Amino acid sequence: MPHKILVVDDDNALREMVGIVLESEGFNVCYHDAGSGALDAFKVEAPDLVLLDVMLPGKDGIEVCEEIRGVSGTPIIMLTAKTESDDVVRGLEAGADDYVVKPFDPVVLLARIRARLRPIAGTSEDKIQIGPLTLDIVGHEVRRGGEKVLLTPLEFNLLHTLAVKPKQVFTREMLLETVWGYHYKADTRLVNVHVQRLRSKIEDDPDNPKIVTTVRGIGYKAGQG
Amino acid sequence: MKLRVAIDWALGLFRRYLQARAVFTTVVLSGIALLIVGGFLSYSIGNGLYQTRVTQILAESERGVVEVQNTFSASTVTDEIALQTLLNSVVPSLESSGTVDSRQIALLRTPGQVGAQILQSPISADLDTAVIPADLKTQVRASSGKLTYQSVGLTQPNGSVHPGIVVGSPIEIPLAGKYELYLVFDLNGEQQTLDFVQSILFWGMLILLFMIGTVSFFVTNWLVKPVQVAAEVSEEIAEGALDRRLTERGEDVIAILARSFNRMADSLQKQITKLASVSKMQQRFVSDVSHELRTPLTTIKLAGDIIFASREKLEPAAKRSAELMHDQIERFEVLLNDLLEISRYDAGAVAADLEIQDVNGVVGSAIAGLEPLAQSRGSAIEINIPSGPVDAEIDGRRIERLIRNLLANAIEHGEGRPIGVAVGMSDSAVAISVTDSGIGMSRAEVDRVFDRFWRADPARKRTTGGTGLGLAISLEDTQLHGGWLQVWAKPNEGASFRLTLPRRQGMVFTQSPLPLPPTKVLKKSRKAGAINE
Repeated sequence: MPHKILVVDDDNALREMVGIVLESEGFNVCYHDAGSGALDAFKVEAPDLVLLDVMLPGKDGIEVCEEIRGVSGTPIIMLTAKTESDDVVRGLEAGADDYVVKPFDPVVLLARIRARLRPIAGTSEDKIQIGPLTLDIVGHEVRRGGEKVLLTPLEFNLLHTLAVKPKQVFTREMLLETVWGYHYKADTRLVNVHVQRLRSKIEDDPDNPKIVTTVRGIGYKAGQG
Repeated sequence: MKLRVAIDWALGLFRRYLQARAVFTTVVLSGIALLIVGGFLSYSIGNGLYQTRVTQILAESERGVVEVQNTFSASTVTDEIALQTLLNSVVPSLESSGTVDSRQIALLRTPGQVGAQILQSPISADLDTAVIPADLKTQVRASSGKLTYQSVGLTQPNGSVHPGIVVGSPIEIPLAGKYELYLVFDLNGEQQTLDFVQSILFWGMLILLFMIGTVSFFVTNWLVKPVQVAAEVSEEIAEGALDRRLTERGEDVIAILARSFNRMADSLQKQITKLASVSKMQQRFVSDVSHELRTPLTTIKLAGDIIFASREKLEPAAKRSAELMHDQIERFEVLLNDLLEISRYDAGAVAADLEIQDVNGVVGSAIAGLEPLAQSRGSAIEINIPSGPVDAEIDGRRIERLIRNLLANAIEHGEGRPIGVAVGMSDSAVAISVTDSGIGMSRAEVDRVFDRFWRADPARKRTTGGTGLGLAISLEDTQLHGGWLQVWAKPNEGASFRLTLPRRQGMVFTQSPLPLPPTKVLKKSRKAGAINE
């Protein structure tokens, strides 16, 4: 069954063109052309991934991103024309998994989409224990005691990557490659922002993390010490 | 030493302050004028006093002499004792006559007469006959009964000298022969009057001079103040406070100055504000255009890629078109990115993402990216870097881009000859140089090499498709790091770009660890080419 992608962009030509590229790669594509009503379209279409333009009439992409995150962990990739501005960070903080900068290569866009739709690399174990958390690999669930913690697939992937090798320190570049699928130098802000988001969900005190800790000057690791 | 300092200070004051100069000049010139006037007054008064006194003295003396002469002529004394008595009475009578008390008398016998002096010469009690000048005596003897006088100095018992006048006249005394009558007048009274007048004049003029100084200070202050204020306000305007103005008051020349100044400032402010807003608008425009172009460019790019991917199915002409379009879309994108980058610099919206990195690694990855292009152009890249790591606090992405840029330029203009890349370091700086042995540049070209969209030779075929913004961005990147980007070039010998960066942000360096022009090129040609720093 092909993955379904919702393209939210106000530029008709670009929307159609992106659609052509995606359909030619076998994706099932649906469209929406404004910020307002994007959440409804999302609910109706229930896509596997959302391509979301930042600059949208009515409601900007960042607000739409927050709305969707409010109801779902579905992967969101932002399309942005401004790399230098805070748009990127704001989009990531609003919950976007990744972003591509206009003008993008179809190859790049497809790589980013596939990285987000790819199932997590299987491990031998079904369950991993990390601190007070239990990761259910098969069920894509994280439980603290009996209570379920809601993570997006990306956050789950990030936590899983760190938890599989609890003693190893992961650099941002390593995480970009493993979790985001970047094989070249990419924006390390992706890692920073998502580690923050992850911590805010799993840590008792996100400012004083115990589960995902920072190794100064290098990167992150699971657990303390 | 202290005097020198004081003189220097005074001269400095003089040079710096118009007012000090004006006051000083006024005081000096009025001082000279007062000196002349005072001198003239003093001289006139002194002279007047003296002349009056002399006239009076002469009149008195005349009277006295005639009286004495008459006394003797009319006397009928025949014996010496009576004559001596008569003689003796002359002096006190003359001493007490007239208006001025202080006079002394001497009745001296003219020497060189036949017969011995039989009579004693009567002389005023405290008169020293030495005060009577010898030449006056001679004149008296030669004169035929007329009065002769001369100014003398009268030494007082206390040592001071009073001005005086000695009047002399010959007297014929029966039985006794020729005598000379001398009257010595003390002019101390007149001298005191003159001294008093002079001191009054002196103090009066001193006070006047001081008042002139004060008045000129206030007057110049009053005139200079507005100029000073104008100078201060201009300074403030020059420093950017464009809305500063002078107060306009009255109708005089100062008010005209203030009004013209304000009008000038108004027009300047208008122009500057206009220019600034135009410039800001232009920057915004470039930035907005670049952003706005991105969405359609994305569509074009996606479409172009799809057409390009299926080019094999197209007719030859359409296929070639698809290929050309594909390349040009890429070029367009690079140009757009460069435009955006430069507009970010223009807007001052660039912050360096600094991190301590191994410069060798950055250089290495830049070279790796351009190796294929260099090979295709036949240029070997010769690398000369220190063996150990070269750590520096840099924005790796920008520096790598910068070096890629320099390398692309070297390949473009290197004529297929080897290209040298060197890295050097000192305690405070790291340097990277990229040198080619290609067509080089003239002095005029070196001067313009960092200009936007400038091309060394517009007629030259471009193959690597640079945007013309590369070196302008490189220079901005360098300045962002607080470094230097310098170029040496010589026509037909090659060009060398040297980037020098501080090892850590804020480190000060005065010398680059690498030479420019590079030693290798120097060996080939001792004559230095053009260097642009």
